[in-house]
Amino acid sequence: MLTLAIPSKGRLKDNCNAWFAERGVVMEQTAGARGYRASFAGMPDVEVMLLSAGEIASSLLAGDIHLGITGEDLLREEAPELTGRMHLIKPLGFGFADVVVAVSGAWIDVATMADLDDVCAAYAHKQKRRLRVATKYAQLTRQFFALNRISDYRIVPSAGATEGAPAAGTAEVIVDITTTGTTLRDNGLKILDDGVILKSQAQLAASVTADWSADARKACESLLGKLDPAGPLYPALAAQLR
Amino acid sequence: MPAFPYYDSKAIDALNGQAVSLLGLFASRGYGREEPAVLQPAEIFLDRSGEEIRRRTFTLMDPSGRELCLRPDLTIPICREAVQSKRSFPARIAYNGLVFRHQPGEPHRPTQFFQAGVELLGLEDRAAGETEILSLVVDALKVCGLSDFTIRMGDLALFNALVDALALPAGWRSRLKRHFWRAGYVESLLYWLGHGDGKAKLPGTRDEIEALLDARGDAPMAARTREDIITRALDRAAEAANLRLDTKVADAIAQLLDISGPAEESLVKVRALLATAGINLDPQLAAMDARLATLKSLNIDPARVQFTAHFGRNMEYYTGFVFELWARDKEGPVQIAGGGRYDSMMEMLGAKKPVSAIGVAIRTERVLAAKRGGK
Repeated sequence: MLTLAIPSKGRLKDNCNAWFAERGVVMEQTAGARGYRASFAGMPDVEVMLLSAGEIASSLLAGDIHLGITGEDLLREEAPELTGRMHLIKPLGFGFADVVVAVSGAWIDVATMADLDDVCAAYAHKQKRRLRVATKYAQLTRQFFALNRISDYRIVPSAGATEGAPAAGTAEVIVDITTTGTTLRDNGLKILDDGVILKSQAQLAASVTADWSADARKACESLLGKLDPAGPLYPALAAQLR
Repeated sequence: MPAFPYYDSKAIDALNGQAVSLLGLFASRGYGREEPAVLQPAEIFLDRSGEEIRRRTFTLMDPSGRELCLRPDLTIPICREAVQSKRSFPARIAYNGLVFRHQPGEPHRPTQFFQAGVELLGLEDRAAGETEILSLVVDALKVCGLSDFTIRMGDLALFNALVDALALPAGWRSRLKRHFWRAGYVESLLYWLGHGDGKAKLPGTRDEIEALLDARGDAPMAARTREDIITRALDRAAEAANLRLDTKVADAIAQLLDISGPAEESLVKVRALLATAGINLDPQLAAMDARLATLKSLNIDPARVQFTAHFGRNMEYYTGFVFELWARDKEGPVQIAGGGRYDSMMEMLGAKKPVSAIGVAIRTERVLAAKRGGK
């Protein structure tokens, strides 16, 4: 049995269904499972689960499911080093969003990560404290700030409404996901010129650590063949599975 | 070492025996042992230490939601206690205990290991403090029975003094100092200084900047004052307009950062380069000479002492003299001790005035491994 998880609600779910339907794969809700289980017509070897986008990322990392569709931002946050853990099979062309570093528009002297580095260092030196970065992307933030050689900051975990943190006074800088930038602008924030951490979209991803039985491999090969007849999707995945 | 070490009775006896000898030596030099809690409030480490330590710190939540961590280091809790209990200085403190480090992507490295070390806090005579710590670590390895090791030294103060001697705006001087320990990056900054685009990205007058700021009246100030933003914007505009470093000087610094090798030879090269660039760093170089003299008096073969100009420890709290001791175990070279001066730490932890600080930590398990497998 091959297990595949897709988002259980929202635009991501609708886009997924449409994407499968375009490729002749029709989803059927399993009766009595309260909408958390489904299957594909004519594919008894594939079990479809409906999970939240975040759960899909963590289930892939844990090896609890074989395949999943979720945002690349969540996958990379869950597993900063994908190698040996997850394999991105195919970007799906929907669910576009950028993970970005944003600061107050009033910081007119700050346009780049290098400027932010200066401001962070000056603040730490003067206040003997570090500037706070509110985010739900702690891993991506840490990686990106290290890449940009910024160390005088600290991360404040944010569960939601991250864009409000600077105005609320709970953080000075944010790292958040944005599609149009409107929410950021409405909150008086601006994206740094070189502050795009990740250009994300929905990905069909595989867990490398899941239990890939011969059955699961066979079902996966036939499913991927159907989803992209011309592409070498399965061989590329199989190479990762050893 | 496996990720989760198990010490059998032979291993733990050897470690304990070595620890008793080390602590005995430390005590004979006036360093009393202290022991901070293993579980610490996370904030102090997340706020005060560099990204390298933070990345490696195990954090956890207590049932009430308070963020805690397993101590990644003993220096910070010891220094904090010295600040909070208003210790009289100089204070000499020894420790021997476990520290915990996350080793992302390196499953063969242990997530916990023992460190034995000392902190010397508030000794005004910095040269005396350095002599004391160097002698102590050399004697400590002697007590452990390890004689085959090399020493690598550097001095952040040397680079800082060099940068201060340059005709650069304050912002640039601070940037160069801050990134000194990042190999390659300082060189690229120097290159930029020689060939920068010189384009002003912000308007140059105060009125223009104030108008820009007024136009963003509804945006949060996010912990900065209006004056702070205006001042920095003016500085940036001014420096972008006339930022250049003499090519001769930039070249000399780049060459200086490249110097690495036997200490005595290296310092001759440093002096020659500084003379070419017309920069005087005699006090800093004299301090380096004094450290070499100390090591000589301890019967360390000068050939075993290396100077690396570009040597900054990757824990950013060091501020001056830094050193590492290296030996070999059966797998190759291994760092067995490291330390240096961290004069800004005590103030960072709340001391009302600067307190000089220098210390060293010995990786005792590696010392045992080097004794076993290095031959």
